[in-house]
Amino acid sequence: MKNVRVWFQKIGTVKYISHLDLTRCMARALKLSRLPVWYTEGFNPRIYMSFAMPLSLGVSGERECMDVRFMEDADLTEAASRLRTYLPEDLSILEMTEPLMTFESIAFAEYEFRIEAEEPSQLAETIDRLLSSDSVLVKKHSKKGDREVDIKPSFSNMKKSITEEALVLQVPLPCTLEGSVNPNLLLEALKSHCGLDLYAQIIRKRLLTKDFSDIR
Amino acid sequence: MDMYPKEVERLLQKVQKPGRYVGGETKSVVKDKKDVDVRFAFCFPDLYEIGMSHLGIKILYGAMNEIPYFWCERVFAPWVDMEAQLRENNIPLYALESGDAVKDFDFIGFTLQYELSYTNVLNMLRLAGIPLRSADRTELFHIVVGGGPCACNPEPLADFFDIFFLGDGEEVDIEVMELYRQCKKEGRDKHNFLLRAAQIEGVYVPSLYDVEYNPDGTVKAYFPKEGAPAKVRKRVVNDMDSAYFPESFPVPLIDIVHDRVSVEVLRGCIRGCRFCQAGFLYRPFRERSIETIDKHCRAMCASTGYDEISLSSLSTNDYGRLNELLDYLHRWTETEKVSLSLPSLRVDNFSPELMKRVNSVRKSGLTFAPEAGSQRLRDVINKNVTEEELLRTVNVAFTEGWTRIKLYFMIGLPTETMEDVLEIVELGKKVVDAFYRNKEKPKGKGVEVSLSAAAFVPKPFTPFQWFGQDTMETLQEKQRGLKSGNHSKRVNVSYHGAQTSFLEAVFARGDRRLGGVLENALNRGLHFDGWDECFDFDSWMESFAVCGVDPAFYATRTRAFDEIFPWDHLDYGISKEFLQEECRRAYEAQTTPNCREACSGCGAACFKGGLCLEKR
Repeated sequence: MKNVRVWFQKIGTVKYISHLDLTRCMARALKLSRLPVWYTEGFNPRIYMSFAMPLSLGVSGERECMDVRFMEDADLTEAASRLRTYLPEDLSILEMTEPLMTFESIAFAEYEFRIEAEEPSQLAETIDRLLSSDSVLVKKHSKKGDREVDIKPSFSNMKKSITEEALVLQVPLPCTLEGSVNPNLLLEALKSHCGLDLYAQIIRKRLLTKDFSDIR
Repeated sequence: MDMYPKEVERLLQKVQKPGRYVGGETKSVVKDKKDVDVRFAFCFPDLYEIGMSHLGIKILYGAMNEIPYFWCERVFAPWVDMEAQLRENNIPLYALESGDAVKDFDFIGFTLQYELSYTNVLNMLRLAGIPLRSADRTELFHIVVGGGPCACNPEPLADFFDIFFLGDGEEVDIEVMELYRQCKKEGRDKHNFLLRAAQIEGVYVPSLYDVEYNPDGTVKAYFPKEGAPAKVRKRVVNDMDSAYFPESFPVPLIDIVHDRVSVEVLRGCIRGCRFCQAGFLYRPFRERSIETIDKHCRAMCASTGYDEISLSSLSTNDYGRLNELLDYLHRWTETEKVSLSLPSLRVDNFSPELMKRVNSVRKSGLTFAPEAGSQRLRDVINKNVTEEELLRTVNVAFTEGWTRIKLYFMIGLPTETMEDVLEIVELGKKVVDAFYRNKEKPKGKGVEVSLSAAAFVPKPFTPFQWFGQDTMETLQEKQRGLKSGNHSKRVNVSYHGAQTSFLEAVFARGDRRLGGVLENALNRGLHFDGWDECFDFDSWMESFAVCGVDPAFYATRTRAFDEIFPWDHLDYGISKEFLQEECRRAYEAQTTPNCREACSGCGAACFKGGLCLEKR
């Protein structure tokens, strides 16, 4: 048995499906592909799949990954193209590789925000001002109830660029098996602190180790 | 590839379950508009998750899209949050495949599954920006059509629709679309198209019939105009083996109600339960062969990747060679890790052998529908299930390890007394007792029996079509009796909706005068009436009052045998004499044998197909 890391993108229409729905789609596609995947043992055998990091609903992922197990050797390039034919375009397979690191080594995820604005430079200033306060508290809804988190430390390492109609931000956010920072918190902060109801495309570009290199 | 309109993108961030509104599923059919002559918007007047679970839409979607110059796309009712966003941003309702507005389509087709979806039908037309009334759509375009069980009495919707399809839809839809295509080419007008459509079997054009009413409000007569048939006969597909069945369907990306492959094994039902409209509407009983079912199952699994197949029909237990069918399918389903399930189980056909073949049944719970608590009342409704059979069945279930049993009942059935209602609770207790007496029951577990009681709604084309529904007060009294009659901790009693059942009864046997009420209700913002969070009974009653229509006239009035009904000009093959005879037998608590035991001469033999032709 061999571990195989499947790299995929979750963009366009597919960014609107939940993590659970994603697992269902992948299972159906793997079944159709007839790749030699390993099924869990038990009363209801299921295809073994282990996803690195769930993505928030509405956030695109350009280089996501999950692990499966192959029962026999297979050409990974061919396997990737076979699986690709059974998935929607927006949930395309990028490649399959032999995993070199475990998911425990994921420490950050690089996010890109494309925030629509008539005056992107003005918005950039607003964000700078917001993040220059001692702390930026945002209400976070969770199953355990609402609590306040300070997003300032997570969002301080931000690169900004300006296009005609949008402000583009790039920032690595903490992203680990123990917990992650939801990128939507930035928009929440701009809403609650600055009264701005903004529309942004949020893209998770890639998953990173603690020294900001790519997960492999 | 995002097909939905660009403006929708930003709305999706603000609504629940945006995956409902984006399309993009594998196996959804996207065509090039240049190659398409006729576009059909298949509208399901409920949420995506409900509509995508429906087998009929899959069959018709496949049948239409097989033809290169037709393109059928899907449209579902947006939930209230999305509807508000669409309205606020002036975005018209759009179809999922192309993202094009519904108002760009030639046909707008609705499936009419349930009376309480009528406001959703009108609301979808309004969201699409299409005039509601047929008379206000004068061009040969925006042809609004409907089919499904409620088409058997579509009169409350008659003013809004151009065409209703009666009976099996897979052939007649295509024929009408072909006619439209031809009329377009010939430069005909809408009226000419409708006149010609009315000549096709299974097509009802309501505008070609005038109605006169008696002073007491009942129907005096229907007058067909311009050569329209005096009686419109439903369409029947006799040979189920050659009938169209899709090889694939759009595979939803989000979780839906029935997230599995559904293969139709038979059409119709042999039972003749007197309350059940479907049991009469879909006669004659027609089975697909084992080989055909096997072929459909294989094709569907191979194209969709699902690992569960539901063998679907009104009563799959009545498939003549069910065990043989399951064994035949097991030749490949086990190695392919595909499980089989049956949509419903009959009390009198439950065995360990069957359960072993249907490996997907979870140990969590089993559901049966005795429908009535007392034997007398079960005879009245011709349910033909005995208490002994039920107790034997639950004993088998307990021995096999089940501990949760759910039983469905109806209250408000004809001739029902409070004693009959209380027998429901008694039956629940007997099931509990059977558990404790069973020596092979699962160790260390208690039994849970749920009794669920729905309110009976009399429907057209059943032996109870003359019956005045119990008033809401009577129903609520019976519900209270049911609840207070139960003292067992092991038995849980629930019931639902006297008010929704009343409204359902009004529209089930309604006439054209209800069209105004529907429009008024729509203007009050009433929709999703089948959903508790949207149902507003008081507002409905105001609608009736404003329109000067008495809802009780339709729901609770008992009709005379000689009354002319608003659906009498529609012919489902079932004779009125047969239904009257069945009604008489019901009141005498006499049962009628099922179609396999003996033919009772219902009239469906006129279609010359299925079980009606077999020797018994």
